[in-house]
Amino acid sequence: MNGAERQELWERLEAAALVHGELPPAVASPTPWFVRVMLGIAGWIGALFLLAFIGIGFHSLIESWPGAIITGTLLCAGAAMLFRSGLRADFASQFALALSFAGQALICFGISELLRWDFFAVCLAMTAVETFLFFAAPNFLHRVWSAWAGSFALALAFWDLKLSTFAPGIVTAAFAFLWFSEFRHPRRGALLRAGGYGLAASIIATVIMLSGRSEGVLWWSRAVPAPGNDLLAWLGLVLSGTVLIGVSIRLLFWENVPLGSRPGKAVLAGAGILAAASLKAPGLGPCVAILVVGHAAGNRRLAGLGVVALLGYLSHYYYVLDATLLQKAEVLAGAGLSLLIARLVLLKCLPAPESAEEASHA
Amino acid sequence: MTDRRREILEWAEQGRLAPEDVRRALKLAGVLPSGGDWRLFLDRMLLWMGSVMSAAGVIFFLAYNWNEIGHFTKFGMVEAVFVATLFLVWKLGLERPAGKAALLGGAVLVGAIFALIGQTYQTGADSFELFATWAVLIVPWMLVGRFAALCVFWLLLVNLAVTLYTTVFHGLTGVVFGPERLLWQLLWLNTAALAIWEILAAYGVAWLRERWAARLIITAGGALCTALAVSDLCLRRGSSGWGFPVWLAWLAAVYVVYRFRIKDLYALAGGVLSVIVTVTCFLGKHMLRDHQAGSFLFIGLVVIALSAAGGWWLKRVAAEEKR
Repeated sequence: MNGAERQELWERLEAAALVHGELPPAVASPTPWFVRVMLGIAGWIGALFLLAFIGIGFHSLIESWPGAIITGTLLCAGAAMLFRSGLRADFASQFALALSFAGQALICFGISELLRWDFFAVCLAMTAVETFLFFAAPNFLHRVWSAWAGSFALALAFWDLKLSTFAPGIVTAAFAFLWFSEFRHPRRGALLRAGGYGLAASIIATVIMLSGRSEGVLWWSRAVPAPGNDLLAWLGLVLSGTVLIGVSIRLLFWENVPLGSRPGKAVLAGAGILAAASLKAPGLGPCVAILVVGHAAGNRRLAGLGVVALLGYLSHYYYVLDATLLQKAEVLAGAGLSLLIARLVLLKCLPAPESAEEASHA
Repeated sequence: MTDRRREILEWAEQGRLAPEDVRRALKLAGVLPSGGDWRLFLDRMLLWMGSVMSAAGVIFFLAYNWNEIGHFTKFGMVEAVFVATLFLVWKLGLERPAGKAALLGGAVLVGAIFALIGQTYQTGADSFELFATWAVLIVPWMLVGRFAALCVFWLLLVNLAVTLYTTVFHGLTGVVFGPERLLWQLLWLNTAALAIWEILAAYGVAWLRERWAARLIITAGGALCTALAVSDLCLRRGSSGWGFPVWLAWLAAVYVVYRFRIKDLYALAGGVLSVIVTVTCFLGKHMLRDHQAGSFLFIGLVVIALSAAGGWWLKRVAAEEKR
């Protein structure tokens, strides 16, 4: 956005009495998402080498759990101090990132030793560690990572309790809450956005790795949990769909659309179809929630992530062992046809304004 | 839209815009969807999700090992759906998104019919023949459809056919070079596809200007090229010795094309990551033989320095392009 466009936008808001005074000076453009992804991957590669350096150079120090936890904590504290020092140098940020990743790995190892590899307890402890780091280390990339790692560790704890079907719904609810808060708390916008992206990544990981009722995809676990209590499993599946319906209702309120109006009913019908399909394909609801929330927030990156999540989940669904291929075919074809019919109803009930019609044909 | 969104949220963060006015400001700036935008979004979402899920449902249905249904019934069911999609294409036309969605669904069903033939009659054909024939048969559809997603789908089929062919028929060179041969073939294929794509897009083929598709091919080409360079540098034995020089040439080409001609920062970021990975593998190969702690620290710091320098350079290029 160049200077003239900024000025024009400011004047438009000024005319609507939303802002006053002089146009504020421009701030530096944010780093594009793919550059951040590249930096994150490089940060992890660097962290692995730092970890190997510590492991070989100071192996006597980190052999015991207190040594590993103290060293890891010192590394994370050093990283947080570097982030907080306000140093804008790219090297300092990358170094801090790698330092923190290495520290987290050491803390995880130390905690696992301390808790005698009790999977559930380790997951809960790591959730607490990542939550603390999320607030303590003020760096966007690091916060996205902490949000992802903390929420996924919590999802793993649910999995260990044989309540894995609840995980996608809970993570999706937290995700929606953060994105719906973005405009209400603009001063905490950077924090909320980092958390929101981290939770979106966590939804994808959760629906692919943990959403099934009988899957055991975690090779490091003691044993593959059985489906568990059937009623509880079903309640978890219901939660995924319910969250999608909840998100839809929240959006209708956001857009001042009465629930009983035609558009309101159309949206709720579409959400209902997907919620029903989520009982058998539990990743559908959460992935659609990412797409819809992204669109509602005017965030194309998030909406794009939702599309990727949906395609990824459908590809993964083929291999899920919860149902036979025939049952999956019934679910997908049934939901697909229902959505196409819902579209026809939508077009019939809400004829497009001229401009939108033209755009759709372009 | 992303810039306006960021700018308004920045003003709100600075306290120049009240929190309760943020949504109104974003609406005014056209960042948040209007009623018409929502309608269009729901229309597209229902259309694409409905089409993809229905097509996936048919494929899952066919993949199920049926004993109860006779051959003719199976064929009849798939062909009925296939004819229905073609009817929709004819009825809706190829200019509308719904028509394009039906065409993509039809293209997927062509493969489903071939798979069913193979499953039913045990023709003895190799898997690569299925994908190759499928790809050849939908070429006219791709040309008529003028639709980026269908082109990407076609390229995926060709990649699968080449991979399966090379896996089945190693030949004499296959014995010598092993998996490297496959990497080379896929690299040439995807590089050629990328070059054709970008040239046609530059010469005004509007439907090829969708960057997501070109970026997907850049990612595939870059990953293959990096794998070849790493294999050349780290696994000297059995390597053709061309991986590293070709990787350098690829990087140079990416730099010239995407820095000065097409200006796509995504490709440059991929190039930076490729450099980091290759340099790391090279250093690892030569420095980690004795597992010295200092070597690990040195490589770690090199990775951090390279990524920091790469990030700094990419941000500068991004800022330059904005001006």
